Amino acid sequence: MHIAKKRTSFLFAVAIQSFEHDDRRALNCVVLLLLELSTCDNGLPLTPNSIKILGRFQLLKTISHPRLCQYVDITRGKHERLVVVAEHYDNSLNDFQKMGQTVSPDRVLQIAYDALEGLDFMNKHGMVHRALSAHNVLMDGKGRVKLAKCGLYHMTDHGKDVDFPIGYPSYLAPEVIAQGTVHPTDSSQGDNLMPTGPKADVWSLGVLLFELCVGRKLLQNIEISEKLKFIITLGCMDDIVTVLAEEHGCLDAIKDLPKNILTLLRKCLTFLPSRRPTPADLLVDPVFEGVSCLYSPFQQPVSLFSSSLRCAHLELPEDIRQLCKGEDEDYLGERSIDEVYHLWCLAGGDLEKELTNKGIIQSKPPVCTPPNFLLEDGEAFGQGRDRSFLLDDTTVTLSLCQLKNRLKDVSGEAYYPLLEDEQSILSQSVSTNDLSCTSSLPLIIRERDTEYQLIRIVLFDRLLKAYPYKKTHVWKEARVDIPPLCRGLAWAALLGVEGDIQARYDTIDKDTPIPTDRQIEVDIPRCHQYDELLSSPQGHRKFRRVLKAWVVSHPDLVYWQGLDSLCAPFLWLNFNNEALAYACMSAFIPKYLYNFFLKDNSHVIQEYLTVFSQMIAFHDPDLSNHLNEIGFIPDLYAIPWFLTMFTHVFPLHKIFHLWDTLLLGNSSFPFCIGVAILQQLRDRLLANGFNECILLFSDLPEIDIERCVRDSVNLFCWTPKSATYRQHAQPPKAQGDGSNNGFGKTSTYYSTDYQDMPKSDLSREPLALSDLKAEVSPRISAEDLIDLCELTVGAQTKRSKTGKPKILAVDIRSIEDFGRGHISGSINIPYSTAFSPDGELVQCPATGILQSFRGRVIVIISHSMKSAAMFAEHLVKVNYPRVTTLDGGINKMKPTGLLTVPSPQI
Amino acid sequence: MKKNKGKINVTTEKEFVFKFKAGKSDCILNVPLQFPVQENVTDLHGRLMLLHKIPCFVENELKSTLSSFIERETIQDYDREAELALQRLTDGEVDINQLTNTWAKAYAETTLEHARPEEPSWDEDFADVYHELIHSSASDTLLNLEHNYFVSISELISERDMELKKLQERQAAEMDKVMQELGKSMTDHDVNAVASQHFDAQQVLENKWANELKHVTHIQKQEYQQWVIKLHQDMQNPNSTINEEIKVQPSQRTEESEQGARLYEEQQQLEESFTIHLGAQLKTMHNLRLVRADVLDFCKHRRHGSSGTKLRRLQTALSLYSSSLCGLVLLVDNRVNSYSGIKRDFATVSKECTDFHFPRLEEQLDVVQQVVLYARAHRSSKHKDQLEAPRNGCSNEDKNKNLERNSSNILPGEFYISRHSNLSEVHIVFHLCVDDNVRSGNITARDPAIMGLRNILKVCCTHDVTTITIPLLLVHDMSEEMTIPWCLKRAELVFKCVKGFMMEMASWDGGISRTVQFLVPQSISEEMFYQLSNMLPQIFRVSSTLTLTSKH
Repeated sequence: MHIAKKRTSFLFAVAIQSFEHDDRRALNCVVLLLLELSTCDNGLPLTPNSIKILGRFQLLKTISHPRLCQYVDITRGKHERLVVVAEHYDNSLNDFQKMGQTVSPDRVLQIAYDALEGLDFMNKHGMVHRALSAHNVLMDGKGRVKLAKCGLYHMTDHGKDVDFPIGYPSYLAPEVIAQGTVHPTDSSQGDNLMPTGPKADVWSLGVLLFELCVGRKLLQNIEISEKLKFIITLGCMDDIVTVLAEEHGCLDAIKDLPKNILTLLRKCLTFLPSRRPTPADLLVDPVFEGVSCLYSPFQQPVSLFSSSLRCAHLELPEDIRQLCKGEDEDYLGERSIDEVYHLWCLAGGDLEKELTNKGIIQSKPPVCTPPNFLLEDGEAFGQGRDRSFLLDDTTVTLSLCQLKNRLKDVSGEAYYPLLEDEQSILSQSVSTNDLSCTSSLPLIIRERDTEYQLIRIVLFDRLLKAYPYKKTHVWKEARVDIPPLCRGLAWAALLGVEGDIQARYDTIDKDTPIPTDRQIEVDIPRCHQYDELLSSPQGHRKFRRVLKAWVVSHPDLVYWQGLDSLCAPFLWLNFNNEALAYACMSAFIPKYLYNFFLKDNSHVIQEYLTVFSQMIAFHDPDLSNHLNEIGFIPDLYAIPWFLTMFTHVFPLHKIFHLWDTLLLGNSSFPFCIGVAILQQLRDRLLANGFNECILLFSDLPEIDIERCVRDSVNLFCWTPKSATYRQHAQPPKAQGDGSNNGFGKTSTYYSTDYQDMPKSDLSREPLALSDLKAEVSPRISAEDLIDLCELTVGAQTKRSKTGKPKILAVDIRSIEDFGRGHISGSINIPYSTAFSPDGELVQCPATGILQSFRGRVIVIISHSMKSAAMFAEHLVKVNYPRVTTLDGGINKMKPTGLLTVPSPQI
Repeated sequence: MKKNKGKINVTTEKEFVFKFKAGKSDCILNVPLQFPVQENVTDLHGRLMLLHKIPCFVENELKSTLSSFIERETIQDYDREAELALQRLTDGEVDINQLTNTWAKAYAETTLEHARPEEPSWDEDFADVYHELIHSSASDTLLNLEHNYFVSISELISERDMELKKLQERQAAEMDKVMQELGKSMTDHDVNAVASQHFDAQQVLENKWANELKHVTHIQKQEYQQWVIKLHQDMQNPNSTINEEIKVQPSQRTEESEQGARLYEEQQQLEESFTIHLGAQLKTMHNLRLVRADVLDFCKHRRHGSSGTKLRRLQTALSLYSSSLCGLVLLVDNRVNSYSGIKRDFATVSKECTDFHFPRLEEQLDVVQQVVLYARAHRSSKHKDQLEAPRNGCSNEDKNKNLERNSSNILPGEFYISRHSNLSEVHIVFHLCVDDNVRSGNITARDPAIMGLRNILKVCCTHDVTTITIPLLLVHDMSEEMTIPWCLKRAELVFKCVKGFMMEMASWDGGISRTVQFLVPQSISEEMFYQLSNMLPQIFRVSSTLTLTSKH
């Protein structure tokens, strides 16, 4: 084993500026971290440290507590530079010290209590601060403590991923010093460092409080090594507080302190860790008796998916008007910090630029800094240290001016849309016209439009908070588009995820080794690894857990390669919520990939592919003829498409747009996507032979995804529902299925599955695979025919005409049979006389009609399915699109009483 | 090999005991737990519930007991560990001074707050000034000046060549005379004496010229830098109009013949370009070029002020301090010098023109030599530390023996880097060490030379080298054993490895588009060249042309 370390660059962070809200909340940033690269020998690409940190960082976004600064984002810049965005306040404990005044004992107690609350909360989540210092303890507008930089130690894997020490010399606890730096330059004691425990923070806090009490900094103006030596030697002293006071000439100040403060200081500044209390111990200590009762403990808000009542703690003031008071029109300030940051980015915010302007990113020209010599394992020597690679611990405040300016025309109502009044959704805002203009623009542009996104985000946020009550409404809005910020939850809503998913996920055993582990282990490092999140070690870990959870909880199904790709979009969207990723995946698979993951899935896949090739013939006979001719059948290329629902072939950002629509459609929508992809490559496919096609598809060329979505929706509208009937599709849900009761989704023509419709005699009947394969064109059910031809059994018209394919029924029975009764509106082309020996249609009046209605859905009706299928095949051969046959033939129609006898003149 | 192998992982097992009542019976659950606990407490809890079929009415109780147990034990572990560390200090196992110095050093080296303020560096200031000037209207003047210096150096060189030639002719004549007299008035001994005398004379003359050249380049560099600084100052002062135009001095020498030769050479050069896509889902675009040329063609300047030359020169100058550099891989032997073979040829080319920005090649190599010695010392001390954990394989041992023999030599797969501002198309040269092994037919993807390429690409990534030229066959000259199958096999290996490395680099730099030029020796046949250019699109995914069709 060897770890070659190379210094490359660092990381740092920025924050966003003041909401100019009364509590002076601000987003800030900047921690510059120096990263090292490490190599490993396992043949896999090595993961840059910046990606490791980025992966570990994600968890911090979920750590919300009023005493901690909220982390918002991290971005990776060039040369391993990381910028962290977090909440920030301008005031810190430093301010007290600068003024050189002491702080009143009550205030000290309150600060101590606040800080301990924050620390305790972090400890509960398995983190320690390690970098406490006067300038990291911020004060919000109400004078309450906010701990900043609390995630540094966590995100750097206890300092292992960066080469600067974490913490500030004066505040380091003795045991931290004794354990040494993570990266001793002689590298001999190396990696066997235990991470620091929570008690080190208590020492640092003690030093901080001491400084507050005496009104000056400790150990200022001495060299670092002397400082550390001093701290270490405190171990021999009996009374550390007194020694410190003597050393700094402030014994009097200490003597005057009230007793409880002195006790607190002594407890914090206990040399031996085993005698020092933890933050949790201190919080219940009697010294805080007077303080703790003043504040109610923080309660974690209830998440959307949980078993407890979300409104359980909701208390409305007696006079509801009080809620509306004190609003100073800063609606933006009431949105959550990550929404604001998202909008800030959309409004042209650029972290790198912000930092460059402040002169924080300065780097030497690269030609001046290459190393002189590199060993075979990649260790570099002779490289000068570039200053820009040092930790820059400054915080830059990001200005919200630009964003506010962008949004100045957005009316207040837009921030609080009324959901109950259907009419009011978009119509009340002043900029209605603008918005309706915007919503007709391409999706990519809409996703970058600040105002539009603001309104969409606000709307979705409210709708999702009202989920599942507002499920129908979510569906409706999702048809317009889904704002990227809300996509994770919106998809969950579309998939109908409900219930206490976390508890369900927790009970699944994700640790015990199973035989599939090996395959999962092999697949994960090859799955969407261009993405920073998914390629981070944290990402891999989460991947493994979600996949294992799925495999374990679906004993009848197995892991097929491709499941990893399928998991990727869900994991990416819900990176901090594995349970939701798991729940979405578990809901997605039965809907779109029912039984695809059976151990023996060949019958399912074969049927699927056969239906797919029928769909190609239906929509594009020309292409279908060519592909069949050269033998380029779907089995050769389409299995990964459908098995992974295209996640294996597209990058994530395209999958999101594709799936936004896919999730709205039913389980036959993927066929249309497949056909749309083929059509985009149509010219090249038609021009090429088998080998070139194989090569072309071995690495799918760039696909214009927006066009693909548009085309597939279009194709979908032209496809009669029953044409994609599959015997192995998901069986209809049992009646009384909870999720569909009450506020069920709207059953529109397009979103319901064919399988979900009530079955009747007129529905399609299962067909053996070999029979299915023999037919080029799809069959449609009599039901569909009746529906599409507007034939009515009763008197009422069920649906308006719009939005349904136009249809032409072709009866190929003999003239006599036709005369005895046929479907009204159908034309008669007897099979026996229809085609000339060379396969062309014989010219006659009926074929003329056929010709003139080319492009409509053609339904072939016959006595026997065999002749209908043959006729359809002939039509496809001569490039008639949208040819179908009637399942069961004319016999199916007879009992309906819809056949008519022609009037004499025809 | 796992990264953490060397870790003395102190995991301890502790027994978690949980008692509960189910109906009338008392149940006890004993679970051995590994500390430090790696997994999530809720996961562990879920697993225990499942595994031991714990009734659900104790679920919450189990959870809280379990988490408080783990919390307590973890704190105890922390405390024990921390006090051990403190104990080591009081026992004197660890020296307190050394410890605190390490800390202080770590702070000083890695944080801006504690770092020593940076001393202003002449190089960087000059870099800024130059970068600004070359991107201003003054660029023309600068280039002309550079060209004039170049011309005077070339004249000096041709004078030197002339004088050397004369000397050689004179000596040859003298030698002839002596040889005729051999056996008559002269003995073998006399001949030897004359020969060594000639040799000495040559050496003296060469040294004289070398010193002369060195002197002139030194003066040129100084003058140039002063002039650039002055020009910059003048430019900043809007009142002074300086435009002392510098005209291109026409070179005195007639170069008709050379022009012809050059023309001929350029015809010899074959090249083919490809645009490729890398990546399974997210695709990044890169440019590849297959070139048949001499490796030094990328370094040599064309001798005369033809416009093409100047453009190329401008391009190189513009990007010198930018973030798109050009690199070249030069295959060298295991000694860091410039006495023989391609190294000597390269050194000659690098002297053809003064480097106004970076130290002369000899100086750079001297520094490299120092760094190599340092690196060896560093490695061997580290190696000693790791002796307790024996590293795999005896190959390392062999290597180390080799090293001990001559620690100033470098090993295959290692490379050193030199920087140049005076070469025609290259800023950074990677001198990659290869041995005779690359001539054999059976090298693999794990070969040191290939690993060297990987590291080179990584440096390209971290130092913004966006164009890199790689000898495709890992040789600069063809020899007899390099048959057609040999070439094809080698080319395939290098193509595939480079493709893999490029994909790997995409995760480092976020998929910046680069240009990779594959260089094949001038001596391969045209037919071979086209065979190689046919192979390339089979290995890399060549992006297909966009066909614009009108929609009917």
